[in-house]
Amino acid sequence: MEFLIFSDTWLILLIAYIITTISLNLEAGYTGIPNFGKAVFVFMGAWAAQGIGIRLAAWIVEKQDPALAQEALEFLKNHLGQDYPSLVAAAADTDANRIVANQYIYPFLQDHPMIVAMLFIAIVLIAVGLAAIMGLIASYAALRLREEYLAILLLSFSELMVMVIFRQTESLNGGPKGLWAVKFAADNRVFAIIFGLVVVVLVYLYAEKLAHSPMGRAMRAVRDDEIAAGVYGRDVAGIRLKVIIVSSIIASLAGLVYIEANLAAQSLSFDRVYWTFFPWAFLILGGMANNKGAVLGVIVFMVLRRMIDYGLPQLAAGHSALIQMAAAYLSNILVGIIILLVLYFRPQGILPEKPSKTLDFGEILKQEEA
Amino acid sequence: MALLEVKALNAGYGRFHILFDLDFKVEKQEILIIVGPNGSGKSTTLKAIFGIAKVYSGNIIYNEKDITRLPPHAKARIGLAYLPQTDNVFAELTVEENLRMAGYTLPPALVEERVEKVLESFPFLKSKLKDKAKSLSGGQRQLLAMAMTLIREPDLIMFDEPTAGLAPIAAKEVVEKIIWLRDELGKTIILVEQNAKLGLEIGDNALLLVSGRIAFYGKAQELLENKDLGRLYLGLAK
Amino acid sequence: MVEIIPSGVFLMSAIAYAAALGLLSMGLSLTYVTTRVANFAHATIGMLGAIVMLFLIDRVYYEGASYQLFIVGPLLSFVVAGVFAMIMYLLVMKPLQDKGNDVIGLMIATFAIDIILLNILSFLLNAMTGKHLPKLYGVNIGPWDPTIQCCGLELKASNFVLPIAAVLLTLIFHLFLTKTKFGVAMRATIENPNLAAVMGVNTNLVYTVSWFVSGALAGVAGSLIAFSLKDTSPNSSALIIVSVFAGSIVGGLTSIYWGLVGGFIVGLAEKLLTSIINALYNGYFAPALGLPEIAIINYEKVMSLGLVIIVLLFAPQGLAGVDWSKLKQKILRR
Ligand SMILES: Nc1ncnc2c1ncn2[C@@H]1O[C@H](COP(=O)(O)OP(=O)(O)OP(=O)(O)O)[C@@H](O)[C@H]1O
Ligand SMILES: [Mg+2]
Repeated sequence: MEFLIFSDTWLILLIAYIITTISLNLEAGYTGIPNFGKAVFVFMGAWAAQGIGIRLAAWIVEKQDPALAQEALEFLKNHLGQDYPSLVAAAADTDANRIVANQYIYPFLQDHPMIVAMLFIAIVLIAVGLAAIMGLIASYAALRLREEYLAILLLSFSELMVMVIFRQTESLNGGPKGLWAVKFAADNRVFAIIFGLVVVVLVYLYAEKLAHSPMGRAMRAVRDDEIAAGVYGRDVAGIRLKVIIVSSIIASLAGLVYIEANLAAQSLSFDRVYWTFFPWAFLILGGMANNKGAVLGVIVFMVLRRMIDYGLPQLAAGHSALIQMAAAYLSNILVGIIILLVLYFRPQGILPEKPSKTLDFGEILKQEEA
Repeated sequence: MALLEVKALNAGYGRFHILFDLDFKVEKQEILIIVGPNGSGKSTTLKAIFGIAKVYSGNIIYNEKDITRLPPHAKARIGLAYLPQTDNVFAELTVEENLRMAGYTLPPALVEERVEKVLESFPFLKSKLKDKAKSLSGGQRQLLAMAMTLIREPDLIMFDEPTAGLAPIAAKEVVEKIIWLRDELGKTIILVEQNAKLGLEIGDNALLLVSGRIAFYGKAQELLENKDLGRLYLGLAK
Repeated sequence: MVEIIPSGVFLMSAIAYAAALGLLSMGLSLTYVTTRVANFAHATIGMLGAIVMLFLIDRVYYEGASYQLFIVGPLLSFVVAGVFAMIMYLLVMKPLQDKGNDVIGLMIATFAIDIILLNILSFLLNAMTGKHLPKLYGVNIGPWDPTIQCCGLELKASNFVLPIAAVLLTLIFHLFLTKTKFGVAMRATIENPNLAAVMGVNTNLVYTVSWFVSGALAGVAGSLIAFSLKDTSPNSSALIIVSVFAGSIVGGLTSIYWGLVGGFIVGLAEKLLTSIINALYNGYFAPALGLPEIAIINYEKVMSLGLVIIVLLFAPQGLAGVDWSKLKQKILRR
């Protein structure tokens, strides 16, 4: 079965998608917050390592090794004919970024493991902080709007942030091309896989624990009947706020894993199809409000897609250029069709939410008192 | 031969099963009264007959034809009419548009004629034809809804609490109109009535619903005299 | 001296763009008020109109600009996009709705359809060869937009036709809704589908027709705005949809007329306001304060989101939810 060979690129994407989908499940599945702007939250993690992280790293190089920084600036002057005021400025410039990152920052970091460790912690914290701020902004809308308005608003917000603001503003993240991110290990892919797996395990355990805690029950209460939940003394706004912020933070970690594996990625890669629609598709396929379902959905979908992506060109190989081209488009078309079929035949997903958990409020209260 | 026959009807909304195994008949030119506590499924029964609530199983036979799976708009074309308990006029449309909507299934020429005719019975509407229905008072709206139900001149009319919220005099007027419909025009009527005493006095047969099941089905007079059921469910205690 | 007041030609192109958004937002609101579907594929359906234009140019009107194109094109787009939207409803949305999918499930479905449609169109345009055009994917059809002399201005035909088409279509649709039996039934169904059904209205037919109209309006908008797009590749819908939703939300999403107004306002804000702010900032503030120049013109979509946020803050139900008579009283009393 040749098409079952899965690349590391595929594995990393799988990991990043699992993290994103678990995060979406907390919002959409358990709490009923239709976050259609997932992409921008994921992107925050990437930005922390790209536009922000690379500046931070360049700043550290300047402080720790001024000679190296000077050497880099001179090199840029000779080769690009550009005079940069500082290494930070050079690292954030679209023309010089690649050279600064690859020739100076990466080798420097490789020689200073302690600095790498601290930088890693700093960037994780920055990702978390950025995501929390984004979550706070989103929650402002989420506390006030009906679900379809919220979905549309978050989608627009995400598209504008990623496709317009970050794309048009070179200083933020290198414009359309995107900046090279900080690299934490000689083999960044292996690092990304290990880091990603750790995050997956932690996030999954956290989500499972949350789902079975009183907070998880409160989340479902908010989802099923906001008004009744309020009447029974639930802090509806507080629950939504917490869930959005936690989910945003988790999503940003997915972005960090993804960018670590690829180092450079355009802002455009974080568009609504790949980081909003796909996670929703996984979740619907796997089953809402069920963490196992969320993970299973990603795996089933990604394996299917891999088979399609790998199998179709093989079937098409040797045929006309037209058929080969069709194979490329067909893959996306099939994804769309699969979603429609799932919505039609199994709207509750492969692993539906366990029905016993949706108790009525009286029972929930009794259980909690006991 | 019964005009309407409901057999082993199970119905509800999506996964909310509300009605269980209802069996009853309505003869031509009869008034069937449906009574029962709040939430017992009276409105749902009418909705299920019209095809607005979901029928899980059972049959609805009208004029010897099985109409269980007929869509609501098709039922309107074969002589059924239903006056909903709430939201029974189009608030955003004018009174005239409301009346025309009521004659949607009729040929245009006939609509004109029927609107004229109905305006004779409800003269206060004449001066309000161009007003939006939401500008009418609650009682006026109820009367407009009544007028709309009559425009099509249906054979079987289902009224859902047509007197609710009306002043006693207006309520009496409505009830008289219903009796007139049966006696003068030969209509068949199913009436859900909040005021059980008033309803049972004019009804031929009565159906008492409790929690979606039939607790009594028989002569209206009999239910009126049944002290136990009356006290338990209908607040008829002396 | 920097021009702050936009030129007549620019103003006209802004109005044309706003008219296109108005039509698109109106159509989007229409399927929402009738069938509760917020259709993410709406802008791509509009792009069907652009593709109809592309094909007409390639097959029929390749030799130089022709005014006939501006009649045949929009009409054909009206039908093609309308039929597509109708089929989309009957084949996908309605069965999903009957299966009990909620608003969010239906949104995901339209997302999926968007992806399917985009990829099919991209494939076809890449795979087919033009009769006259060297390629069909990513063509700029701007050169087929003749210039009209009007009011001392040299206007592009599409900029001229779009507002006229928008006014005409709105008028016709309004007459349809108020003067025809089926139109009144449509309004009745929007307000209370169950009651309409009780009156004998085939609400399914109403829904089907509303999807047709929604798609048809989008098709006309797409066919004419195509001349102003960088190219007619279907992906152009990606950012348009954001503005269309912005327009519908500003309008309130619950009213087709306010949807039209919302789309128009968003369109004007994106083009005009952005250009004015751009001129003010780069012409006055930046030089005076020694700030760097910023190409604010690139951020026009920020306007739409900004407008949405402002509207939602002050009128959560959009413009449709504002009590205008009360507002008028308030203003007049002061
Ligand atoms: N659209 C709906 N979806 C789900 N459940 C509903 C719906 N409409 C009514 N119900 C439920 O169905 C049950 C019966 O309602 P129904 O309106 O038939 O009662 P009723 O006998 O007419 O009461 P009332 O005297 O208050 O009019 C109630 O428990 C109600 O909550
Ligand atoms: Mg009732």
